[in-house]
Order: sequence, then structure tokens, then C-alpha cells
Amino acid sequence: MAQMNPVQYGKAIQYHLSQIVAPVPVYAAFNRNFATQPKFVTWNLRNVHQPVYTGQNQNNKGIDTPIFQISIFTTEIEDGFTISNQILQSLHGYSGLFGGATNGFQVSKVDVDWLYNSYDNTEKMAQIFLDCTLDVPT
Amino acid sequence: MTAPNKVLPGFSASLWCQTGATPTPLTNAFLSTWTDHVEDIVGTSANGTGTGGEQLNVEAVPAFGQDDAVASFSVAGSRQSDKIPVQSAPTSMTITAAWNPSDAGLLLMRADAESGVIDRTFVVAAVAGTSTVAYAFNGRVSQFTIDPAPGAEAKCTFTVHPRGNQYGWSNT
Repeated sequence: MAQMNPVQYGKAIQYHLSQIVAPVPVYAAFNRNFATQPKFVTWNLRNVHQPVYTGQNQNNKGIDTPIFQISIFTTEIEDGFTISNQILQSLHGYSGLFGGATNGFQVSKVDVDWLYNSYDNTEKMAQIFLDCTLDVPT
Repeated sequence: MTAPNKVLPGFSASLWCQTGATPTPLTNAFLSTWTDHVEDIVGTSANGTGTGGEQLNVEAVPAFGQDDAVASFSVAGSRQSDKIPVQSAPTSMTITAAWNPSDAGLLLMRADAESGVIDRTFVVAAVAGTSTVAYAFNGRVSQFTIDPAPGAEAKCTFTVHPRGNQYGWSNT
């Protein structure tokens, strides 16, 4: 089937994450060195990919399984863990409309992988990283 | 046109079949005749005309050709026995496709499997630029299954069993 537009993925991720962690701000690929807020979340989209199959038909492809990394930055370590739990509870195993009515699309499954937590002594911010895989029937 | 003289990549192979619920399969002579016969089944993207066929959107075209089967005869006193090819039927092809419930080709395969007695001409087209090599055969479909395992697209798998002695090669 046709490839979905990554612009649509970006809009949907921004909207959906903002809804989950509100009022904590959400940014796309934010440079954390400029952060002044005590809590914020950033995301980076990667691995937008449909498997391709044989023949000259360009639309002979499988489903798209894009991954976006969620990075949580907080001055209090526990705040980061709490936000990560909000995301886990809301997204892991989710199936349905992703990204709201305007820019959203149907996902058959969302798979969240809580990767690791860390601490940046220079910026005095705790960090938590999660990978989120979307299964998008296109 | 002569057949392409190069090593072909697997991605250039595509699978085509006659359209219609009850098609008239090509005769044995026409299975190896590109002009007006095999080319009608193969679509324009693979250098045919596609007037009477459509592409089956499959993951990969499996191995095709002929099975092996021999009868060995030994003669007393002879050092070497004789191997006679027998029942070397055209190879059955088990094919996997991403399952799109509205795909016209997959719906044909589903209906063929349900019937079990529909003879249909299939063509494997291997394309290199403007050259195409075609392997055409008549076959029946069976074992149409759908695997909805999570984590990837649902897979639709079916097997095409070729009829004996009903295949041919052609090219353009």
C-alpha cells in the first residue's frame, strides 16, 4: 500500500504525547541544552519503514512500523519516572485512533519499550528514554 | 526479442494470473507463446498488455520449475544403473502475500481455493528493463489461509498446484 507521509506522523505524535503528559511541554527533537523548564518531554521519529515485496508494483508493501523515541527530562528524578508511567499506562498496548481527530490515523497496536534512565550532572536533569513502535495499517 | 543475458535479481519477478471467476486456461501450445497469449496475462509494468490478467501482490515468488522424481533400473552385470525421470510434475508453489481483504487478485485466489476445481493460467514474469522471461502454467489453488499474528502485517498464504504437462516458457 502507499507510504504514509512522515509529516502526518510528526503531527500525530506531537498531539498525542501532549495530551498524555499535559501540562508538561512536549517538543520535537529539542536541544535540551536550552531547557529552562523543570520538566519537559521531547520526541524523535525514526525507522519509518514498510517492508517491500517483489515485482514492479511500488505499492506491493507491508505495514509501516515507525518508531519514535521519547526523552523525558526532569529536575526531580521521581517526576521523570511518574511521567514515564503516564506514558506507559496510556500508550503501551493501545489500539485505535492515534493523534487526535484532525491529524490522527488508526494504529493497530502501540508498543512502548522503556529503555533506561540516566542523569546529566552538567544540566542537573534526570532523563528517561522510551521507544514507542506504531503498527500502522496503510 | 531475445531473453535478457544477465543475472536477474529476485525483486524483478512478479506473479500474474488470468482474471474472471471461471477463466479459460491457455492451451499447452499457447503457454509458450508470448504474443497475444502470455502477454495478455502479464501487465504493462512487466512488458505485457495485461488485457486478460492481473498481478498477484505477493511477498516473494517462490521457487518454480519442475520437481525431481526418478525410477532407477538395475541390470544384472551392468556396473551403472539407469535413472529414468518419472512424475517430475511442475513444482507446487506456496505463496505468501500481505493480506489486503479488498485485493482483487487475492479474492480470486480465495474463490479458487473454495472451489478447488478452477483451472487458471498463472505467469511468473522475470523482468530486466524492456525484456521479460515468462513461465506460464495452468494450476489450481488450495490451502488458502490467513495468519493474523501480531507484530507485522497479516499474511495470506495459498498453494498453487500446477496441472501436469501444462506449462511453457516464453520471452519478449
